[in-house]
Amino acid sequence: MSINPIVKGKLVCVALNDSEQFNAMQARFAEAPYNGAPKQPVLYFKPHNTWSTDGAVVEWAQVDGSPAEQMVVGASLAVVFGKECCRVSEAEALDYVKGYTLVHDFSLVEQNYYRPDIKGKCLDTSAPIGAAVVPVADPQSLTVVTSVNGTVVSEMPVSQLVRGVAELISTISYIMTLQPGDVIAVGFPGQRAPVAQGDKVRSVIDGVTELNNTLGQ
Amino acid sequence: MKHARVLFNGSELDVTVEDSFSETGLLKSKTDGQLINEADVTWLCPVKEPGTIFALGLNYADHAAELAFEPPKEPLVFIKGANTLTGHKQNAYRPDNIEFQHYECELVAVIGKEGKNIAREDAMDYIAGYTVCNDFAIRDYLENYYRPNLRVKSRDSLCPIGPWLIDKEDVGDISNLKLTTHVNGELTQEGTTADIIFDVPFLVEYLSKIMTLKPGDMIATGTPKGLKDMQPGDTVVCEIEKVGALTTYIVSEQVFYGDKY
Repeated sequence: MSINPIVKGKLVCVALNDSEQFNAMQARFAEAPYNGAPKQPVLYFKPHNTWSTDGAVVEWAQVDGSPAEQMVVGASLAVVFGKECCRVSEAEALDYVKGYTLVHDFSLVEQNYYRPDIKGKCLDTSAPIGAAVVPVADPQSLTVVTSVNGTVVSEMPVSQLVRGVAELISTISYIMTLQPGDVIAVGFPGQRAPVAQGDKVRSVIDGVTELNNTLGQ
Repeated sequence: MKHARVLFNGSELDVTVEDSFSETGLLKSKTDGQLINEADVTWLCPVKEPGTIFALGLNYADHAAELAFEPPKEPLVFIKGANTLTGHKQNAYRPDNIEFQHYECELVAVIGKEGKNIAREDAMDYIAGYTVCNDFAIRDYLENYYRPNLRVKSRDSLCPIGPWLIDKEDVGDISNLKLTTHVNGELTQEGTTADIIFDVPFLVEYLSKIMTLKPGDMIATGTPKGLKDMQPGDTVVCEIEKVGALTTYIVSEQVFYGDKY
């Protein structure tokens, strides 16, 4: 089913997990339709038609038959599960991780977070997943650096997440049992980077792995 | 023809459902033609390799009114994980410390052929057949972010599906099928697919404009009015005319997870 050898079952992404964005949006969260800041992690799936690979060309989105005016990208540290993970504590959460990689989430511009963003997020090939799954002792110490055509557009320390890696694994494992080959993208920079047709997007976690993609025409 | 998947003597088996099933309980192995009694199997999700599970919110005019929502102008689509799927006559759990969990009896269209940008007129060519699902919701967990969120709609076991997949030709017109739900034998939900706002051809066109649909993807088309809270010990039967009747047993979180609780 998957053209990506790493992700086999579910690719769960966490939105609104950049504390800078989360804090900046407090006034917006208080208004309708949200009527309060999120109490739980804000999760979405990137379904199997979105899965793609390191080096792949990402299709430029079509909206109602015409090329999308704008696409954006965010990069996230991604947790790859090595064994079944069901209802685990934060303290034991990292024991279920096989290793870490990167995910690019290409999408239409994020308009709002009220309804599931199927139109914006479920685009074919819009979720490349890194080639390597690398063991890391302390994922909270990592930083994800993303550049577009060689210019750095974001630097996101994992320690800047509202909810860290172990907490997310624990919380999500009480909602859904995670299986080997399931992946969680733990958090993206709140400010997604605009991209254009033909752009080259590169994300790096120093000493761990990198992910390179090109936007299609 | 009705296609099912079962556990029999510890192995997963593809079977067809005999015409005499309602009297005899007989299933026939697709591997060797052996006849098997329903009493000797565990029912599994009838779709062997579940793809993306799309589900519709507020897609029946009467249900939208029940929840005090204006009927949507565009489909409210959300995605469920395959961890939610379980078979006919299996357990589904009620989480601890909640106020309101309800069933949702839904017609599911299963994609049989890959396609993108499928026109409404051609949509039915891409459907393999139909099944029934019970797309449970826990209303306590709703928040106004990606509503309905994964905590409400992607929990283990909370999308029983089956008992079987029936070929679309054997159902024919799906525009006025009766849906019912019975809880412990009492009729609690009754409706018809005639009240669907966005029908299957519309949804195939709509979704395939966004993304490629692939065999094994499923579209759960929403539920009519008639919500009722569930409790451990309840037996829920979701039935759709010409398609099938799906039975689910509600258990507590502790019973469901056992050692992992």
